[in-house]
Amino acid sequence: MTELTTVEQILERKSHPVVRDASIAPTDDMHERLLELEAKGEIVLQRIKGDYVEFPTKYGRMKKIPIEHTWHHKSCGHCGHIPGYASSILWLHRQFNLDYHDPTDQTSCTGWNYYASAASNAVGQAAVMSRNFAAAYETGYFPLIHCGTSFGHYKEIREQLVHHKDLRDDVRRILDKMGKPLVIPEEIVHYSEWVYAMRDRFKERQLVDMSAITATVHPACHYYKIVAEDAIYDPEIYGGQRTAVVTALLEKLGVNVADYSTWFDCCGFGFRHVLVQRDFTRSYAVLRKIETMINEANPDLTVTHDTGCVTTLDKSQFAAKAHDRKVGVPVLSDAQVAALAMGAHPFRVVQFHWHSTDWRPFLTKLGIDWQKYWDEFQGDLDQIRAGTKSGITWQDADTPIKLQSN
Amino acid sequence: MTSGKVLIIGGGPSGLEAARCVAELGGEAILIEKRERLGGTPDRENYAKLTHHWRDASEAMADMAAAVTSNKNVEVKYSAEVKGMSGSAGNFEVQIEAGGKSEALNVGAVIIATGFQHFDPGRATQYYNYYSFPDVITLTDLEKMLKEHNVVRPSNGEAPKKIAFIQCVGSRDRQIGNEYCSKVCCGIASKQAIELRQQLPDSKVMIFYIDMRMYGYWENEIYWPAQEKYKVNYVKGVVSEVLQKGDKLLMRGEDTTMSRPMEVTMDMVVLSVGMEPSAGTRAISQLLGVKQNQYGFIESGGAGGLDPVATSQEGIFVAGAASGPSDLDDSIAQAGLAAARALASVRKVMA
Repeated sequence: MTELTTVEQILERKSHPVVRDASIAPTDDMHERLLELEAKGEIVLQRIKGDYVEFPTKYGRMKKIPIEHTWHHKSCGHCGHIPGYASSILWLHRQFNLDYHDPTDQTSCTGWNYYASAASNAVGQAAVMSRNFAAAYETGYFPLIHCGTSFGHYKEIREQLVHHKDLRDDVRRILDKMGKPLVIPEEIVHYSEWVYAMRDRFKERQLVDMSAITATVHPACHYYKIVAEDAIYDPEIYGGQRTAVVTALLEKLGVNVADYSTWFDCCGFGFRHVLVQRDFTRSYAVLRKIETMINEANPDLTVTHDTGCVTTLDKSQFAAKAHDRKVGVPVLSDAQVAALAMGAHPFRVVQFHWHSTDWRPFLTKLGIDWQKYWDEFQGDLDQIRAGTKSGITWQDADTPIKLQSN
Repeated sequence: MTSGKVLIIGGGPSGLEAARCVAELGGEAILIEKRERLGGTPDRENYAKLTHHWRDASEAMADMAAAVTSNKNVEVKYSAEVKGMSGSAGNFEVQIEAGGKSEALNVGAVIIATGFQHFDPGRATQYYNYYSFPDVITLTDLEKMLKEHNVVRPSNGEAPKKIAFIQCVGSRDRQIGNEYCSKVCCGIASKQAIELRQQLPDSKVMIFYIDMRMYGYWENEIYWPAQEKYKVNYVKGVVSEVLQKGDKLLMRGEDTTMSRPMEVTMDMVVLSVGMEPSAGTRAISQLLGVKQNQYGFIESGGAGGLDPVATSQEGIFVAGAASGPSDLDDSIAQAGLAAARALASVRKVMA
């Protein structure tokens, strides 16, 4: 074999995924720390019951992702701005008859306040998280966090709780008043990790051909930049250089994933910015993200996995239209794309009507007669107005749509 | 059974110097090296010139190796690794595997000289896109090109016209846990910048830094000549990202002197990667039961902190970059001290 030149060696090295060795990870292994605290009787460690799958995270450690018996920790932003996001996650569970619990006693994590420098104290933040986790523990279901903000925030709090006994003591005093134990789950799991874990099963049930679609991916900062070692990485996805969730799903569903240079930038939401400098948020989302995507990849769709990212990337385009900017890329979450691929109703489940960027060309390109389903949805509303129906139910939404080509 | 022999683990500059010193002080040394040849990281990574005195690295390593292989008081074992150890100072029983065969060595003291490895820029951060863009390279990549007098952009084989160095990649970085300065990168980047200007006189070379740390005589030997004679441009600023723009690399960041954002295009970007403990250093510390510091290097300094070759185990010493970032001069000086201390230790037991 001939010896490689220096340039060939450089190129060859770059052609392989990065090898990450868990034994030299630069951060503490939270699993070990949690087990130590459990052994000392300091916390109740909630373990995953039933089926789970394991995937490598950034530094090569393994993370367990539960498949069912999950407690759905919803997102304030989902419910307030893009309800089709949460309903798609639940719809996907229902398609596989996976046991889940949709609690009504979950509170906001208050993380947005914290990240926006608005209101915060460590004990209060940790007590809110612990209360939610205790509520999940009491039901026997394992927390699955819909919200990227909560996911990142809880991981930060977990680290603080693990390292500060005084904080644990303060939080325990608060929980005692509510009669709840200090519970930390063995993994903090984001719903997009569950979507990643389920991608093969989604593929098996895919009804809508997505091969004509080009999509860009916006990885959510709170998913992979905060407590970075807790995000899933896969050597097959960008050589293990980027988190695998979202991209792996799209590839599995046959979507053409296109790259763009500012993939790692914030969507513009920025927590504080969207509250107090909203014009900055809008400009950033459009100039730095959407226009870059259009110029470099011209996608039919951009896909992300957090509330703030979907709303910011989507709604900022509406404002930019007034300034004749080059916009018009529909924005969906990975769960919405998966649901759509499996035949979820575009309005009863995915709820495109909450999205402001024109989604009609995208649905048309998928071969979905959106007008027909819009009419069905309007019919639902007519019935609700007439008082013959109280609301849209899972019974209306569970059955996948029948495409003309089916 | 007590032994007067000193085992030296690692055949790089520190190990070679330790072996030479033990032998010259009248002791017997056994040097074991994992590879089939001596010379350590400078040899394995094809270093061109050594920062101090600009000496040809291959020639310098060959001289150091010859001083050991020609000395009858040193036994060199190639393709050899430690597999286990028992005993105590003056009487260590070390199991090794050399050339595929197991062997037991009886030695009185051990010197660890297992060195460092260069930081892998893809391990923790992808911001500089080392694994994505062919023209983002590391100091070690560039060193090989300089040695071959063939500095080209990997993407197209053409000589780069604009080259930037980014300092402190993998060093002084709290986010990834490497909170230490790797000491040598500023000097090496400046040395390479001069070599670039010598080999590619039409090129423009810039170094982006947090602050330049030019130890001792490097200030006059490298730093000022780089600016005054070779017109290397030093920019105090933090580079936040490297992107592709057409066939160029676009660097964005902050020029902290001018207090403004900056955006420059480059043909090639060189990441000044720092030092991390080698896999051998991590493994040997476990096998021999010597303490590591929080970064994985072997803890040295002794009880009073002024014993730079002492480890947590009596009779086991450390030399060079196995104990933390170190330049060649310091590594070699430390190796001489380790040799003297190891020999004194075995003679005390033998007496």
